[in-house]
Amino acid sequence: MTGSGADVDHSWPAVFERRLIGKRVPRVDGPAKLTGKAVYTQDVRLPRMAWGRLVPAPVAGGKVRVDLAPALAIEGVLGGIVLGETVRYLGQPVAALAAENSDLLEDGLAAVVVEVVEEGWALTREQSLAPDAPRVGRRGNRSGERTRGDGAAARRALAECAATIEGTWQMPIQHHLCLETHSAVVDYSGGESATVYLSTQGTYGSSFEAAEELGLKAAEVRLVCEHMGGGFGSKFDLGIEGLAACRLAKQLKRPVRVANSRRDEFLFAGNRSGSRQQIRLGANKGGHLRALVAEVERFGGIGRGSHPGLPYIYEVRESAVTSSSVHTSTDSSRAMRAPGHPQASFAMEGAVDLVAIELGLDPLLLRKRNLESEVYHRQLDRVAELIGWEQHAHRTSPASPAAGERSSGIGFAVSTWGGGGRPGARAEVRIERDGTVSVASASQDLGTGTRTHMAVVVAEALGLRVEDVSVHIGDSRLPRSVTSGGSVTSACLAPAVQDAASQARAEFLKHLGRVLDAPVGLLRLEDRRLLGPADWELPQLPAAGLDWGQACALLGSTGLSAQGEFQRELASSGVHGAQAARVEVDTGTGRVAIKEFACVQDCGLVLNRLAVESQIRGAIVQALSHGMLEERVVDGGLGLVLSADLMNYKAAVCAQVPEIHVELDQDQGRGVVGVGEPPVIPGVAAIANAIHNACGARLFETPFTPDRVLRALSAATGKDGGR
Amino acid sequence: MAADELTPGISRRNFLKGAGGAAAVTGLANRAVEASEAGEASVASGADGPLRGTLEIVLRINGHERPVQVEPRTTLLRALRERLDPALTGTKEVCNGGSCGACTVLLDGEVACACSVLAIDARGREITTVEGLVEKGEGLSPVQAALLEHDGVMCGFCTPGFTISLGALLDARPDAPEAAITEALAGNLCRCGTQPAVLAAARELSSGGAKSDQGGGR
Ligand code: FES
Ligand code: FES
Repeated sequence: MTGSGADVDHSWPAVFERRLIGKRVPRVDGPAKLTGKAVYTQDVRLPRMAWGRLVPAPVAGGKVRVDLAPALAIEGVLGGIVLGETVRYLGQPVAALAAENSDLLEDGLAAVVVEVVEEGWALTREQSLAPDAPRVGRRGNRSGERTRGDGAAARRALAECAATIEGTWQMPIQHHLCLETHSAVVDYSGGESATVYLSTQGTYGSSFEAAEELGLKAAEVRLVCEHMGGGFGSKFDLGIEGLAACRLAKQLKRPVRVANSRRDEFLFAGNRSGSRQQIRLGANKGGHLRALVAEVERFGGIGRGSHPGLPYIYEVRESAVTSSSVHTSTDSSRAMRAPGHPQASFAMEGAVDLVAIELGLDPLLLRKRNLESEVYHRQLDRVAELIGWEQHAHRTSPASPAAGERSSGIGFAVSTWGGGGRPGARAEVRIERDGTVSVASASQDLGTGTRTHMAVVVAEALGLRVEDVSVHIGDSRLPRSVTSGGSVTSACLAPAVQDAASQARAEFLKHLGRVLDAPVGLLRLEDRRLLGPADWELPQLPAAGLDWGQACALLGSTGLSAQGEFQRELASSGVHGAQAARVEVDTGTGRVAIKEFACVQDCGLVLNRLAVESQIRGAIVQALSHGMLEERVVDGGLGLVLSADLMNYKAAVCAQVPEIHVELDQDQGRGVVGVGEPPVIPGVAAIANAIHNACGARLFETPFTPDRVLRALSAATGKDGGR
Repeated sequence: MAADELTPGISRRNFLKGAGGAAAVTGLANRAVEASEAGEASVASGADGPLRGTLEIVLRINGHERPVQVEPRTTLLRALRERLDPALTGTKEVCNGGSCGACTVLLDGEVACACSVLAIDARGREITTVEGLVEKGEGLSPVQAALLEHDGVMCGFCTPGFTISLGALLDARPDAPEAAITEALAGNLCRCGTQPAVLAAARELSSGGAKSDQGGGR
């Protein structure tokens, strides 16, 4: 039996009818993860599996000669491949090696000889833009130059402004830092078919790449990603790890695992591009933004880097913005959680804040004057309330604490995002004769709770409990789904699941109506029972109805299955959010403590409140980590990355994480919208604004380390003639 | 397996001489010799190279004696994840350098980074991994249950480490105050940002901590 679904009502249940959708539902895969049973790609163990890793180039650019022979001479080192001898960035994988186990693999890796035969690179912006710099970008060291707006008009408008500010905001290259490093296990020993285990955001899409690499038919390659330890935009495709594992498996005719070391991750697994944004912004007396002149540089290594453009979110009447990529000999940036947006937010929100201070206006008020959407106004008012803005002493000008004093400050910033769904996702719901219910799709769970919301949607539609539904994802043989990028997974997949579940329900009732000789329209599923009308006894259906098992036993021997696909009216797009940070600055040491965060985020129909709130809190933790701690440090003289381990690249731990108030600002009647990305955008800017509010020090560069805070403080003190 | 089979041309005598001569590996050599003299197996070393070859040791993991083939340099983390058959992969490798906490296990009840302990040094000690926290195979431990309820699990890759660290703290100090909680978790990294939920779970579990409104469970 298969659902056809032409005239089935698949709309979301009305708000008051929702038993599970929008409630707090613990993760269905939580127990497996908490007990160590969940199998990630790195946990896959196969008989005769060889252990492989990539060999990063020891030089930032030029030509190398790779000699694998000394490594291959070691007993237990099984094979190797050379990937290329032209090096475009520091740490570029030039070879891959496989051995019987990881200890022997390390011996092999140490024995590989990579001889540098020609050198030429530029690791810093200054080196890249120097007149005699070697060419490190494919189209020159500065590429993609473009100007938007009329420069002369914008400069004229700027000259007429009552208040103008200027500054150069800079953010370094930062890392995704997925805890599970990029990894692949290729189960191929020759023959016509293969199974590829990959830590990926694209289970379905990556299977085709793997097939191509193995030279097999796509239908013969199964790609599996049951659980994955974080992606954040860095794991869209098969990757060099998957490619190397495929080639080594072909060479060795045995399963091969390739997993990056942590150092590898820092060298060649992608990054969030850095940025340098020179801005002049002006406003009239009333605080309406009138003119913006800006120059934006993106630092995406050999890649383009990301930036959504200026002005960002706020409306400015006249603007002229030049942008370009400045290339360095480091790995290419990859999409990272709202690519380019936190960078743009840091500069724009900082500039907006400076204008407010210049005019002696409440920054909240100035923001509202320059944001048209009512949603922002409502959200800003609410975060202000949550963070205690009205009770705060320094609203129209920063505090000026005495030297050595601790001072508290509050800062604001807003965000926007699309996050809508699009066609491409499918799902299948099955009901078996023994009462088993399952839902399947070739999606993946990045830690966002995909499995759980799929179970919630099906259980809601069939009157079951969440635990009655088993969920199958992470397998390319299941109904196809989308790659998780741009916060689209929920908005693409949940409508398909709802469609399949609605059809399964309709089909189920139709069948049982026939078997029980009851009018279909009078049957309903509730509380794990099939029920007829309350006041009407049907000959075959007792007043108490049939329990789920009894009802399913009446299905044919093949049970029932229904396929669903994306339904546009079940998804929406476009969200707003506002955040506020409260910090305490120790003006003696320059240390900043983040005391509290408030976030109001609109997010369409909420599938699982618990998971959405976690995702928002998680984004804020990530943003504060980026703002306070994270920076790729390179030594341009020596040609080294100095921050390629977790001793030198710090990320936030519990002690740095404050109370985070999250409120979901739901618009009734909307469909599902993804919110993985928007809440990561405003945090850095809100912290910088809060630091300024606390002590008058404006931080133009992340991370906000004590030395930078002290320098900014002394600059501020100097300007004001000393405090 | 005899040493000579593993590294041709090096006898047990040469191995002892060679290992003794290399200061950096002396400690390791002594422990490996100890292990081999206890009749477990043999290892060998070049004049100044690393100790080579495997030895079979027995580790006591989650209450079971588990024989495992390791090299003297094999870390406990790799013994658990890679050498045991079937492997115990709940304990994760994230940095392999003592700075992320994902590999946290208990050694005689004390937390340790399994990536920074040699397998041969874990002999004779009671090793507890995340798999061993489930009491007699019956449901989740209180720490696991609280983490689930507060959604302190997202991608879950850091979760085993947090679970062990938090469990050890609360075993030692059931009323751990906030400062003790953040200190105990200072070595555990989470990129998904479960920290607020983990803290909420920890506060709820520790009778001495304040209740929090974060991380669900309301
Ligand atoms: S893997 Fe052991 S501390 Fe990171
Ligand atoms: S849950 Fe993903 S790293 Fe912690």
